[in-house]
Amino acid sequence: MLYGTGVSHQCGNCEWRIWSDFKTMTVKLTTQAYCKMLLHAAKYPHCAVNGLLVAERQRERRRDGHGVPVLYVDCVPLFHGTLALAPMLEVALNLIDTWCKENRYVIAGYYQANERIKDFRPNQVAEKVAARISENFSEATLIVVDNSKFTMDCYEPILTIFEHHENKWKCRDSTGDCCEDWVEAQKITAALLESRSYENLIDFDNHLDDLRNDWTNPEINKSVLHLC
Amino acid sequence: MTKIKMASVSELYDVTWEEMRDKLRKWREENYRNSEQIVDVGEELINEHASKLGDDIWIIYEQVMIAALDCSRDDLALSCLQELKRQFPDSHRVKRLVGMRLEALERYEDANKLYDSILQDDPTNTAARKRKIAILKAQGKSTEAIRELNEYLEQFVGDLEAWHELSELYINEHDYAKAAFCLEELMMTNPHNHLYCEQYAEVKYTQGGLENLELSRKYFAQALKLNNRNMRALFGLYMSASHIAASPKVSAKVKKDNVKYAAWAATQINRAYQLAGRGTKEAKYSVKAVEEMLESMQIAMS
Repeated sequence: MLYGTGVSHQCGNCEWRIWSDFKTMTVKLTTQAYCKMLLHAAKYPHCAVNGLLVAERQRERRRDGHGVPVLYVDCVPLFHGTLALAPMLEVALNLIDTWCKENRYVIAGYYQANERIKDFRPNQVAEKVAARISENFSEATLIVVDNSKFTMDCYEPILTIFEHHENKWKCRDSTGDCCEDWVEAQKITAALLESRSYENLIDFDNHLDDLRNDWTNPEINKSVLHLC
Repeated sequence: MTKIKMASVSELYDVTWEEMRDKLRKWREENYRNSEQIVDVGEELINEHASKLGDDIWIIYEQVMIAALDCSRDDLALSCLQELKRQFPDSHRVKRLVGMRLEALERYEDANKLYDSILQDDPTNTAARKRKIAILKAQGKSTEAIRELNEYLEQFVGDLEAWHELSELYINEHDYAKAAFCLEELMMTNPHNHLYCEQYAEVKYTQGGLENLELSRKYFAQALKLNNRNMRALFGLYMSASHIAASPKVSAKVKKDNVKYAAWAATQINRAYQLAGRGTKEAKYSVKAVEEMLESMQIAMS
């Protein structure tokens, strides 16, 4: 299996196609969403981590192909370490879904950073969870963090975005940036990494260890806002 | 980017060198992998207080060296290694550390050669064997890692850490039946460990099917008995009981019993959230979210 040797876009198992007629689905992330995702991966460099991405609930999404991007406004870090067990994932999905409804959000995406640096493909867990999310949100995407590009300076976006087409998850050309405001996202993420804010990031695992740990990460949200 | 001189750990946190040394010991004994903190505390301890540490210094060098590898601080790793090599020139234990540094540099062939030479000298050296398995894992060779670990366990049947590692490898490969077997070994030798019970229950739940769900519920309950604050066990009990009650294949009695278990678990979960939420404004939503989640699941189940 090719691990992206020499190809500029390293995506070992996807079909690398020119999406010339493919204008509809684009995905954008707010600084807050991008930041927390990276902080989660930075907190547990020796583990796989995963989490959910949420978008604002819109009454009707235009399906006429005029490319209204899905905007991920926030991210909820879920687990670190062993990702392939069902019960706590179910609990998290249910609880976060309820929280979403309260806040007019919807679970719209899933991210994962694998344990090994050179592992940037979605695995069975990722595909299963993303498929589950797609049941509720048809344009769900699956995002894999490219660990090999992860640096303190964040000088390039390190996400590989997969979309569901013809029963397969296919990766999207990542030359465009996926952030609403890349300069801001880069600046703020770099600052928070430098100040080791990831030590205070709470994921759902931390929450289960101690219910007082808040997986909405209000403190980090404040820091992000502060630096904007 | 110029580095601003950081305040020392002792200044920042107002701790004495003894407290720093004790923290390092705690992290060592409980096998924490908080490498950045270990490097911060350990480096300062070594640089400023080496003379006071006595013989403790050697084990601290080892701990800091390994943490330094995690943080890409090869400079620190090398200096710790040099001190250890000087003090223990023919030690296999130090040789293993040399190997770990090679691994960190991704020089796996050189590392393997080193471990093989240790094993030639001492075929019972478990540390070297485990590092070889770790290399397989790092290279993504899960099948080989699993095979080697199984062979290892045939010889060293009592190695709990190895059984646990094997269970994780199996879980990652989605071989839940074999993962369950490993956890059964762990539960047998550690019947009071609530974490093994709870993990076993999670594996059974993931395997699916009515029989496994009932087993998972029993082990979640057992984990709770051993530690009534294990939230995963509590949630797990709620989920498994709810799924059993919702299954069309169960008798009316089984359904009734499981509805009771789920209801009990739901009350406990709510209570736990109320307790946790006391005093924090943000946690109120969380109590509400849990209540709603439990309610909506009850509806789905009835």
